[in-house]
Formats: sequence, structure tokens, C-alpha cells
Amino acid sequence: MAAKRKKSRGENLVLRYLILCGWALFCVVPVLWFLSIGLRPRTEIITPTPIYFPTFSLDAWHMIWEDWPMGKYLRNSVAAIFGSVIIDLILAIPAAYSLSRFQYRGREDIGFYILSTRMMAPAIVAVPIFFLFRNLGLLDTIWALMLIYAAINLSFVTWIIRSYMLDIPKELEDAAKTDGAGELRILWEIIIPAILPGIITASVIAMIFAINEFLFTLLIASTPNAYTMSVALANFTGGSDGIIYNAIALVAFLAFLPVFVVVVAIQKHLSRGLTMGAVKG
Amino acid sequence: MSNSPLSGAGMAQAVPARPAPRSFKRRSKRLKAALPYLLVAPAVIYLLMITLYPGVYAIIQSFHEVKFGPWKPVGFANYQKLFGDYQFWGALWNTLVMGSIALVLQCVIALALAFHAYRDPWVKGWRIIFLVPMLFMPSAVAFIFKLVFLDGRIFSDILIRIGLIDANLAIQSSTWMSRALLILADVWQWTPFLFIIFVAALQGQDEEVEEAARLDGASWPAIFFNISLPMMKPVIAVALILRAIDITTMFTNVFIVTKGGPAFGTETISYFIYRTGFKFFNFGYASAASVIMLILTIVIAQMVVKRAFVSARS
Amino acid sequence: MARIELSNIQKKWGAFWGVRDVNIDIADEEFIVFLGPSGCGKTTTMRMIAGLENPSEGEIRMDGEVMNDIDARDRDVAMVFQGYALYPNMSIYENIRFPLRMRGVPKAEQDAAVRRAAELVELTDYLDRKPGALSGGQRQRAALARAIVRQPQVFLMDEPLSNLDAKLRQAMRVQIKHIQRELKITTVYVTHDQIEAMTLADRIVIMQSGAIQQIGTPDEIYNDPANTFVASFIGAPPMNLIEGRLSGGTFEAPGIRVEGLPGAHDGQVTLGVRPEDCRVTAEGAHLGGDVYGVEPTGDVTYLTLKVGESLVEVKADRAYRAALGQGESVRFDPDRIYLFETGSGQRLR
Repeated sequence: MAAKRKKSRGENLVLRYLILCGWALFCVVPVLWFLSIGLRPRTEIITPTPIYFPTFSLDAWHMIWEDWPMGKYLRNSVAAIFGSVIIDLILAIPAAYSLSRFQYRGREDIGFYILSTRMMAPAIVAVPIFFLFRNLGLLDTIWALMLIYAAINLSFVTWIIRSYMLDIPKELEDAAKTDGAGELRILWEIIIPAILPGIITASVIAMIFAINEFLFTLLIASTPNAYTMSVALANFTGGSDGIIYNAIALVAFLAFLPVFVVVVAIQKHLSRGLTMGAVKG
Repeated sequence: MSNSPLSGAGMAQAVPARPAPRSFKRRSKRLKAALPYLLVAPAVIYLLMITLYPGVYAIIQSFHEVKFGPWKPVGFANYQKLFGDYQFWGALWNTLVMGSIALVLQCVIALALAFHAYRDPWVKGWRIIFLVPMLFMPSAVAFIFKLVFLDGRIFSDILIRIGLIDANLAIQSSTWMSRALLILADVWQWTPFLFIIFVAALQGQDEEVEEAARLDGASWPAIFFNISLPMMKPVIAVALILRAIDITTMFTNVFIVTKGGPAFGTETISYFIYRTGFKFFNFGYASAASVIMLILTIVIAQMVVKRAFVSARS
Repeated sequence: MARIELSNIQKKWGAFWGVRDVNIDIADEEFIVFLGPSGCGKTTTMRMIAGLENPSEGEIRMDGEVMNDIDARDRDVAMVFQGYALYPNMSIYENIRFPLRMRGVPKAEQDAAVRRAAELVELTDYLDRKPGALSGGQRQRAALARAIVRQPQVFLMDEPLSNLDAKLRQAMRVQIKHIQRELKITTVYVTHDQIEAMTLADRIVIMQSGAIQQIGTPDEIYNDPANTFVASFIGAPPMNLIEGRLSGGTFEAPGIRVEGLPGAHDGQVTLGVRPEDCRVTAEGAHLGGDVYGVEPTGDVTYLTLKVGESLVEVKADRAYRAALGQGESVRFDPDRIYLFETGSGQRLR
């Protein structure tokens, strides 16, 4: 009786590890398959019967760097993404400060408006945005990508930073006021240094979303001039050659590595960032 | 004053004497009242440019026939055509069906994984491993699923080797198999999103409540369903809403894996708008569809999202 | 350094009165303590002096000048907060220097001032540390140093010792009073701890539900309470308050009879007497009851008697012991008996 009760209160460890290991396998196997595709010759990708143990080959590696201007696409991606994050921070930090530390009429509505732009499907605004950028002469430029990535992420970044700012005790602000600091001084010297982890989290998440963005990039960057990695991938169909899978797999894998490192570094803050501050991890 | 340690000999120079007649600075009240608005204004203006402008533009455009030439006003013709367009309704239906199945699967799997992982000594490790799919570019994920299930026939080959089927699966010609493929890709990539959030919520809950429940003789599943799950409700709501937003705008996978086929069976709203606008250059018509979607988005945002975020915060 | 006058100060949030009709004249160099239970409006009053809240009505003057429209940052007051409010990202040195930097004190002078202030609170060895690496008491002193470094017109302290343990609190109390006396800076101190109030204050302001109950020196407050609230808030254990009838100078309640009281207030009254003004004796006893509890503390023994339906606390000799239920008689010090109006609690004189 006692033994039975003990067992029912504890948990079945076999089941636990079966479930966890099963899902881990499901996560990792496709990734390994990715890698094996990236490191095999093109002739061994699409075959009458799939080849599970291919010959090792750096064909894709050479192809990426020698046949395509992958360096340029990479530079485009990096420039557009970093530029957009900087725009976001410049706009979001004061906005979040206003939304979190001041009392005024319309504050809740403004905050919700900013949040609600996150719900807009890219496809809904795709057509007008396309014409907007065409009229501005920004099609096929990194500037257009930068502006659009910044717009997509602004709501996220603002809300994450706002959530971190809300955590700062009001006393700290009062102390700074009696010490003689003005509002902007408080923001710069007290609040920003105190929420640096939040700012970094928001930036990382904004970067991931910018890397992932596909539809706008596809519409705006229609020539290799402004191709980013993600759209370049979609265009690796190489015309008559069909889809060049090994190059795609390798590029994706190379792009994954830095993202993975950065995300593991901010792991602690990730859940809070992903929910725009609604969950404190 | 003279015997104060701060105003002693060394201090006399250290702190300047206050000017005898004090004059206090008076700051502009109007500037003070305006400051919060000034701080939030740049972000709001930027977002208005990217949402309000396109919104108005789309509304105007939706009342015109816009092909290559000048705009031709056509009144409600685009909307009339849209309401009779089985492809539009089909796209709406596909979005709903694939979206809800994917969402339910992700939520259940993520909850199950989180429940088993959060008390595990290696929870940090599980979080990192489970995170991996989320960090690949969605376009690349789409390609790999296309390769494994369609072009490379690896999935079929494995099933044949195990002996479950005799011939290659004709996924591309089956609506439901194509939908299942898109759902699978979404589940693979985005379950981690929910998992990370759920684990954090479970780890963040008050341990004393859990311990009290254990002392009362509750089993772990009982604790989970009676205590943890109800407490997590607001968090689950926020996480599901964020995920639902992304699922209903599903585009990348459709564009790369199925192109909406077979016979528009996997075409989503986003793909429908893209196809009418940028493939058939029927921009007026695409805008009409956008406006409908915009209205739906605003209604849902006001009804559901506002409440979810308010309750999660408090 | 500054005289502070509050006249007819009101603070309302919607229909809620935070502070009502507060009038205080705080003299230059005075140490004044606002005392009251939480939510009584004492912190709000202090925050209005600081400029962190604006009064709904009334005027705040410093040295005769109206301060209502002056920002907190321009008022030249320094505040010490309950949670210390040290800037977590700055070292202790930078924390203390911050108010000097904000006020544009020349760099060369900043360093000397910071070191002096740190010396005064004995923190010289910790200047390079971040607040997170300090103990509670050290953080408290860092906050104090940040307040004194610029020699403000006014010190404001909002329950600065409430997060410290009892022993440290006592030591810091002495230090705060010493520094205030040395610097001669007008100080307003908020607390709910009557010991802090009694030991620190030149004058105590007792507040309840947003209104001032009494202003006076610690002695006045203790010896001459204005109403039952003040009487029961000051003193530990609190004053015994017994309801009964007064007629012709004789107070009567079940088990209690006191003669020779002023006769002008016939009717229902509340009699107040402090435990320390009671003596256990049968001779000339005013009160008889049964022993309900005996609490020896080493120094004295507190005896609780059940008299009629109420409990009466008596401070007895340290050697006093008694069995539960035993009958006992008590005599009050006739000069230290207070009478209050029963409904309003106002003192009857």
C-alpha cells in the first residue's frame, strides 16, 4: 500500500525520458539531414533511391562563395537587419519609457495600437507597401528592407522593453528626481543601464524575426542587388538546374550557427521576450 | 554650520556655497505635459506610416480596377466578385483548417513536453535542444521538408523499407497529405516557441503551492491539471494568440513547398493575396481581399488580444 | 537651513482623500517625524514636500517661497528611501557623486565631497563596489551618504530603517541623529515605529487617515495625548482605555472605581491609564480583577488582568509572579489618569 502510494505520487521516469528523447530526436534528425545534404555532391541528392550515406563533398561550399555573390547577400542581410534593429531601438526606447513611466490620457490606447500592429498579416499590407516603396524609388534597395524589418519588429521591441522598464522600482526614479536629474537624464543614466538585458533580448528577437521575414523581402528585393540570404535561398532554384538543395542546406546551416550561439546566450530572457513581456521567465 | 564636517576647511572649496537669494528654476508646464507624447510620437508615426497609409491605400485601391494601366473606378465590383469567388473562400477555409490543427497539435505537444521537462535536472539542456528548429530560416525549413517528403521521396522510402507501404506516396496529388505536410513543418518549427514559454511559466510558479499540494497527497499529474494549468491560463492565452497570428499569415511554406496545390487545396489567404496581386497583377482585387482581412484582424484584436494581454499582465 | 510651511494641504485621488487639511510649520534645523500607521498619509505628505507629488490644494513654502510649481529636481531637497533606491548599475562612489554631477558641481570638487560623505557614514572601503555587493546596513548608509553629499536644504527620510534588523536599526538611529545635529539640516522623517519617533524627533506629527492628530515634542505627545488614537499609538504596551460612567468626579465601570476626578464631564467617558502608571497593591486600589496572563521580560513583568469584560495591562515589578485566575488589585497614579470623550475620542480636560 505504502509502496503503491509512493509510486503514484512520483512520476514515471521511463515515460518522461521516452517523451523527451523522442521529441529531441525529432528535432535533431532533420537538422543532421540538413547537414548531410549540404555536404554531399549534387548528384547524390535526388536519386531513384535516396542515399543515406553520401560521399563527403564541399561542392556546395565552393558554389556558394565562388559561383554566387553570397558574400554580398550576407552583407545585405547583415546591413538590413542591424539597421532595422537600430531604428527599432531609437524609436522603441523612448516610446517604452513613455508607456511605462508616465501617466497620461490615451496611454493605454497608444500602447495597444503599437501592440496591435504585430497582428497585421504581412500579406494585407504587401500590395500598398510595394507601391509605396516603388513610388519612393526604394524597391530593390537595402533601405527598403531596413525600414520594413524595423516596422515589423517595432511593436515587439517596444513591448519587451516596456515590460522590463515596468520592473524598475519607482523609488529609483524618485531618487534620481530629487538628486536633480531630468526625465531624459533618468532614461539615459538610470533606466537604460538597468534594463540592458531586456534591450539585448529585444534586439536578438528582432534579429531573428528579420532573418525569418520572407514575403516582403521577396516583393521588395526582386533583383540580386538587394537579395538577402533568405530570399537568395528561395531563388536558388537555378532555373533549368532545378533546386540546388545542397547549397540551400549549407547556407541555412551556416546562418543557423551564429543565431544559435546568441540565443543560447540570452536563453534566460527568451520566454519573456517571445511573449512581449507577458511571461516573466 | 562652521562645525559641520562637510563644510570644514577642505569642504569650503569642495562644495560651492549656495547663492544667497535662492532663485528656483521654473520649467515649462506645457513641455512637461507634452513630454510623454513627444517620446511616444516617433514610434506611433512610424507605425501609422506602415499601417494606416497602406490601410487607406488598400481601401481606395479596392474600389478600382488596377492592372497595368491607370486606375479605373469600379465601385463594389471587386468585393462582389470576391464574395462569389470560391478560391477566396477556399483560401479562408484552408487557413482556418490548417491553422487550427497546427495550433492544437503544437499546444498539446508543448504542454506535454513542458510538463515532463520542467522538473527534470537537465531542463536547460532540453530547452536548448528543443529550440533548434525555431532558429532555422523558415524558407530553409520549407526546402528541407520539400526535399524529404516530395522531391527526395525520403519519407516514402523509409516507409517502404519498414514495409508500411508498397509504392511512393503521392503526397502532391492529395489535398490532405499536402495539408498534413504543411502542418507538420509548422509543428516541427514552432512547437519550441510554445514549449519555451510554457516551461518558463511552470518554472516560475510558486513552489510552496506545489509542495503544499504534494503534502496533501496530490500526484504530479493532479497538481499539473488542478493547479499549474489553471494558473498558466493567461500565459497560454498570450502564447497561443501570438502563434495564431503567425500561423494564419502562413506564407513561406506554401510558397516553397506546395504553391497552394493541389487544386488550391493548401492555398492560404496570404498566398491568395500574393497570387492575385503579384502573379496576376490584379491589384484592385488583391486589395479588396486585404481590406476584408484587415477588418477581421481589427475585430479579433479588439475582442481577444486586448483582453488576453491585459489579463496576463495583472 | 530652511523653514518649511505646509498650509491647508489636501491630496485627493478621485474620491479618495490621501491627505486632508495638513498645516505644519517646520522650523529651520528641526528634526520632525511623521508618525502613523500605514496609509495614514505621512509618506504622501513627505512626497509633496519633495515635489514628487503635487498637492490638490494648499501651499508648500520653503523659507517663505511657494514651492508648488517647482520640480523635485530644483527643490534642493535630498531624500532617503525605504528601499534605498541606489542606482544598481553604478558603483557606490558613482551613486554618491550622482547628485553633484546633476547639479553641475565642478569635477575636482565632486571627488572631495564624495570622500567626505563616505567617511561620515564609514563607507570609504566600499566605494568601488556595486550596491548589490553590499549588506543592508551598508546600502542604507550609502543612501544616506548620497543624501548628505550635497548639503541640501532639507533631508527627507521615508522609513529608512524599516528594512534593517533590530540591532542595526538602533545603531543607525544614533548615527542619523548625530549627523543631523552636526549638519544642522532641516529633516523630515517618516516612520510607523514609535520608538524611532520618540528617540529622533524634536517634534512628532501623528497622522491618521490623512489628518494630523497631534503635533508636539515627544514628551508632550507621551504625557499629554490629544485623543485616544494618539494615546494608544504611543507607548508600549499601549495605554489602557476603559469605558465607563463619570458622575460627580467618580468614574465607575465593572470592577473599577476611581474617585477625585474633575467633575465637569458627567456621563459616558473613556478612562485612560498607561500600564507603567499602575501599581499592584491592595492599598487604595482602583481596580480589582483576575489574573489573565503574566509575561516576564527580565526587566519588568507585564500583568494582564481580566476586569469585567475587558483586559487591563499593568507593568509590575520584575519579580512579580501570579497564578492564572488569582484575584489582584491595582492602584493608578492619580496624577496620570486621562479622560476622553467616548464617541469622538477627544481628550477631556
